[in-house]
Amino acid sequence: MPMTENIKINIKNLWFYYNDHPILEDISLEIPQNTITAVTGPSGQGKSTFLMTLNRLWESIEETRIKGHIEIRFGSDFQNIYDKRYNVSDLRRQVGMVFQVPNPLPMSIYNNIAFPLKLKGENNKTLGSFRVEDALKRSFLWDEVKDRLNEDARALSGGQQQRLCIARALVLNPQVLLLDEPTSSLDDKSGRVIEDLLLELKKDCTMILVSHYLDQVKRIADSGMVLSDRQMKQQW
Amino acid sequence: MKPEFFDRLFNYFSWGCSILLVGAVLTIVGFLIANGYQSLNLHLIFDDTRPLDAIFLKSQVFDGLFPAIAGTLFLITLSIIVAIPLGLATGIFLAEYCPPKIKGSFSLLFDILAGIPSIVVGLFGFCVTIFLHHYFYTRLFPCLLISALSLAFLVLPYIIRTTQISLETLPLSVRLTAPSLGATKLQNIFYVLLPSSLSGILSGIILSIGRCAEDTAVIMLTGAVATAGIPKSVFSSFEALPFYIYYISSQYSDNSELMKGYGACLILLFICISLFVFAHWIKKRLSQKILYRP
Repeated sequence: MPMTENIKINIKNLWFYYNDHPILEDISLEIPQNTITAVTGPSGQGKSTFLMTLNRLWESIEETRIKGHIEIRFGSDFQNIYDKRYNVSDLRRQVGMVFQVPNPLPMSIYNNIAFPLKLKGENNKTLGSFRVEDALKRSFLWDEVKDRLNEDARALSGGQQQRLCIARALVLNPQVLLLDEPTSSLDDKSGRVIEDLLLELKKDCTMILVSHYLDQVKRIADSGMVLSDRQMKQQW
Repeated sequence: MKPEFFDRLFNYFSWGCSILLVGAVLTIVGFLIANGYQSLNLHLIFDDTRPLDAIFLKSQVFDGLFPAIAGTLFLITLSIIVAIPLGLATGIFLAEYCPPKIKGSFSLLFDILAGIPSIVVGLFGFCVTIFLHHYFYTRLFPCLLISALSLAFLVLPYIIRTTQISLETLPLSVRLTAPSLGATKLQNIFYVLLPSSLSGILSGIILSIGRCAEDTAVIMLTGAVATAGIPKSVFSSFEALPFYIYYISSQYSDNSELMKGYGACLILLFICISLFVFAHWIKKRLSQKILYRP
């Protein structure tokens, strides 16, 4: 069992309901800092839902509710992310998310990466462009796009689009990164590039990776759990 | 019988229906052009007044269509200016904020509103005017403003429902992108959801423009008259092309007047097409501007 000071996320007795049907039942888990935790299991068992409980994104979906307790350590103290006083936008800036299918917005590459900064109200252009460049470098995309930052992001290849989405999540320097099958829509080669990237990001981020590929999990995950029949069946 | 037979039958039937409709449209337009092209000239629009003098209001056009064209354009502009913000806001409310329990009844009400005959809306506008005239402001009569408000009321359901449906049918992946990056609900609506559903919303607005341009029943009860000149303010009565067409086709005294009616039809058709093209151009420019601004 990891020591308490290394714990980044603490999940206690988490239940999740959609239309009053339970999707997740009584999940308790501690996730250590600067690790990759894999979530595997059959399709439709609430793996994506589990990720969305960690940045409260499920709140955008109607007729859902949650029971239980999730704490994330930002700085030295644990923060109950479901505390009414806790700002959900702030939470999502600290807990970034990358989806299964790359979802670049219909705007230029630069504007995609700068979009979270704009949402936050940061208007300093020089600092902004520095951070965009930094995020693109950290996601291994800078060399491929530095000469065409003003082109439509949707013109990039699938693998590049997914790295763009990772860069967009990284531009705010999140402490936690949620990855929902980030390589499943990509070919093997592009998938490997993303895997290397995730290993590199481990020094800055705590990552939770939903994946179907057991070999991928073996390659990059430090620990993991299997979700099946709405419950956590196995932890390693 | 083989299923392929029905497949082919249905295919032919669909083709037949489409050709029939396209043929009907072409026949109407062809008929109008054949009858109207001879009277279509500057004299029809400006009578004996010099066009520039008429446009800059230096002299009045008495027997031309210029006041009716201007009246129609004023009417469309005013109605759309009133209807767009109201309709967009209501559509956004229904799609994004309305509690599910009352959404059904609200949607039903707007659908009923969409089905109200325009003459009833005109009568309603007329009654409201009489009420206001009696109790609040005796100098208020049916006028451009009342017509525009009544027309806005008539087209609001189109804008509301198209806005609502375009927003609601956006896929969840588009819906969740901005919130996952820290966007508030309002930021998500303005930066992502509205731009992504612009095409649907614009088609509702285009439909409304067409309705404002052609509707006669509403305006004949709320302020349109046969001769008024260019309206001096929104409280003046006004001329409008559809009303002119109705008036001339029911009261013409000789063939040349009837021909002027055909000319007016062509001009109305031309205005509608130009507005549609303009709206499409705006659609293209707007989405570029919203999504690609540096």
